[in-house]
Amino acid sequence: MSLKLEHVTKKYRDFTAVQDLNFEIEKGEIFGLIGQNGAGKTTTFRMILDLQETTEGTITWEGKPINSVNRDILGYLPEERGIFPQMKVDEQLYFFGELRGMKRDELKKEVDFWINRFDLEEKRKDKAETLSKGNQQKVQLIASFIHKPKFLILDEPFSGLDPVNKDLLKNAILLLRDQGMTILFSSHQMENVEELCDHLCLLKRGVSLFSGSLLDLKKQYGKTKLTIRTEMPLEEANLPGVKEIKNIKGEYLLTLEDESFAKGIFDVVSNGAYIEKFSLDYLSLDEIFKDQVGGVHV
Amino acid sequence: MSKFTLLLKQLYKQKLKSKAFLLSTGFYLVLISGFIFWSDIKALFNDSDSAADVVAVYNQTGANIEEYFTDTTDMEFKEINSLDKIEGALEDGDYLAAIELSDVEGKLAAQFYSYEPLKFSLQQDLTTQVETAGQLYAISQMNLSAEQTKLLMDTTPIISMKAFNNEESGKTADEKMAGMLGSYAAGIIIYIIVISFLSIITTDVASEKGSRALEMLLVSVKPETHFKSKVFGTFLVAITQLVVLIGAVLLLTSLKDGGELWSKITDYLNELSASYYIFVVAFLILSILLYLIIGALFGSLVSKVEESSQVMMPAMIVIIAAFYVMIAGMNNPDTILIKIFSYIPFTSGMVMPMRMGGTDISIVPPLISLAVLAVTVAALYYISITFYKRSVLTYSTGGVIQKIKTVLKVTT
Repeated sequence: MSLKLEHVTKKYRDFTAVQDLNFEIEKGEIFGLIGQNGAGKTTTFRMILDLQETTEGTITWEGKPINSVNRDILGYLPEERGIFPQMKVDEQLYFFGELRGMKRDELKKEVDFWINRFDLEEKRKDKAETLSKGNQQKVQLIASFIHKPKFLILDEPFSGLDPVNKDLLKNAILLLRDQGMTILFSSHQMENVEELCDHLCLLKRGVSLFSGSLLDLKKQYGKTKLTIRTEMPLEEANLPGVKEIKNIKGEYLLTLEDESFAKGIFDVVSNGAYIEKFSLDYLSLDEIFKDQVGGVHV
Repeated sequence: MSKFTLLLKQLYKQKLKSKAFLLSTGFYLVLISGFIFWSDIKALFNDSDSAADVVAVYNQTGANIEEYFTDTTDMEFKEINSLDKIEGALEDGDYLAAIELSDVEGKLAAQFYSYEPLKFSLQQDLTTQVETAGQLYAISQMNLSAEQTKLLMDTTPIISMKAFNNEESGKTADEKMAGMLGSYAAGIIIYIIVISFLSIITTDVASEKGSRALEMLLVSVKPETHFKSKVFGTFLVAITQLVVLIGAVLLLTSLKDGGELWSKITDYLNELSASYYIFVVAFLILSILLYLIIGALFGSLVSKVEESSQVMMPAMIVIIAAFYVMIAGMNNPDTILIKIFSYIPFTSGMVMPMRMGGTDISIVPPLISLAVLAVTVAALYYISITFYKRSVLTYSTGGVIQKIKTVLKVTT
């Protein structure tokens, strides 16, 4: 076990930002912390990073209190983007690396590798303030892990990136994970969380609604999303166990009360009619998220 | 290399290369050079061959008065025999002005003529020359011997001081004048450095906080280390600028008039005691540190760099007030107002050296004032470090008081 939060609470005078939060992250795992704005994600990150004290509870890294571990094992990408505007790209990376205890000659290989990987070779001698927002974000991201931390926290790493750079980042995160780095990240874009994380914690107004594996979360809802493409008009059919039916671009999207109704529906729909598509799925994380934190029933 | 040293080095290098530092240092160097070489610069713009700076003297007294007028770099005096064509000569610019001298009941009377109304400074210079000539003319009427005239002219008294209270120094007027000038220079240095570097440190912290670069830094660096690096890094930059400017002053004054100006300055400086210099340097260092601590703390309160001028304002007002108190005290450094301000830590750095230089105080008041300043700097430093940890990651709106309240609210 790398990181463990036990009964972590953060209270201000008249406001509780995080309440009784518990989760664990295995070494070399990518863990997602999801929640709406104001759910307590950044406060949780700051407590893990020892930038804020917990009101109650404990946070440990490999069994030791987080505030007693060497700070250089940590890496952090804040939600808001910012680097030193007057510093050149490579100087910036050397500075952050040296600050975290690495020597300049050790850093050279890393700086060259990541500058190349993030397609910043032509910009390496440019001042940060002259870069595009996306490139600044890439520099800041590299700066957060240039010292090869054991534990990396990424707060909304995908926001503001175009699809090409998003893929670059995803691949980089997977590469870092493969190198043994433990990664905790937050994102509003659930498809990224779904793609990268095995485990997650879902926060709503400081309270954990779920903490565990993504599959377990999906299993809680069951396979209740049924997609059917057929010429048969399903709006008029009397289908059992259907909570809602929508026709989206020629496909019917059905929300079932329970996955056990799927077989009965198949019998009705397939009775003498040709079916192009009949697909029973778990809800997407995005749908679960909206249901859990937004109060929307899917 | 420790994290503190790394941050300090990065800040020092960055600030030294910054346009703001280079421009301000350049500006001060130009200002200093202009001040030191003012007479040479003025001479460049004055056409020395022109007759416009000649003042005509028409003497009707019969006495040898022309020799009482002394030529200066700005004007020379020339005797004329008649005023017949003077209006035309003045209009043509042959003369800058003309003076008609006559005797009225044994006293010298002077009538000034000019084509355009005379400039105030020229009028003053001419009046001074005529007054001196008038005194000499009056003396010449007494038919005194050469020795008697010499004795009468050499009226400067020989003054020495002896105060019976041994605790007080009993300085001569020259010593006090040197002290006042030294204090004035120290006060100006404190004022300029505080005004420039308070803004630099506040904006620097605010910019790092606003850009969130600070959040990345604080993961590996403790807030107190970051605070220390900002205060001492900016202090080093300020001292560097000061050393450059003092070096320039030394170099330029030694070059001016073959070192004549430098020897005049050293004459002044020699009037001052070693303890005076120690006190001035101590007040200077502590005052700069005090304001830099305040600047870093205030910078940590704002959410974005645009708000930094708003939080700097109270400290700016205090330093400007201190400067005006110092200026007011130049005329009379013994007032109760000056005494009070010389103990207030935010103003003592500028006011106490002036009292030390310009009045007969014992060593005790400066020691008390310095101790108060040192304790305030130490206390503010530790309070600031504690508060900085809480304020540097708190983002809020409103004025300074509102921001402080928000920090206390969300971090306790």
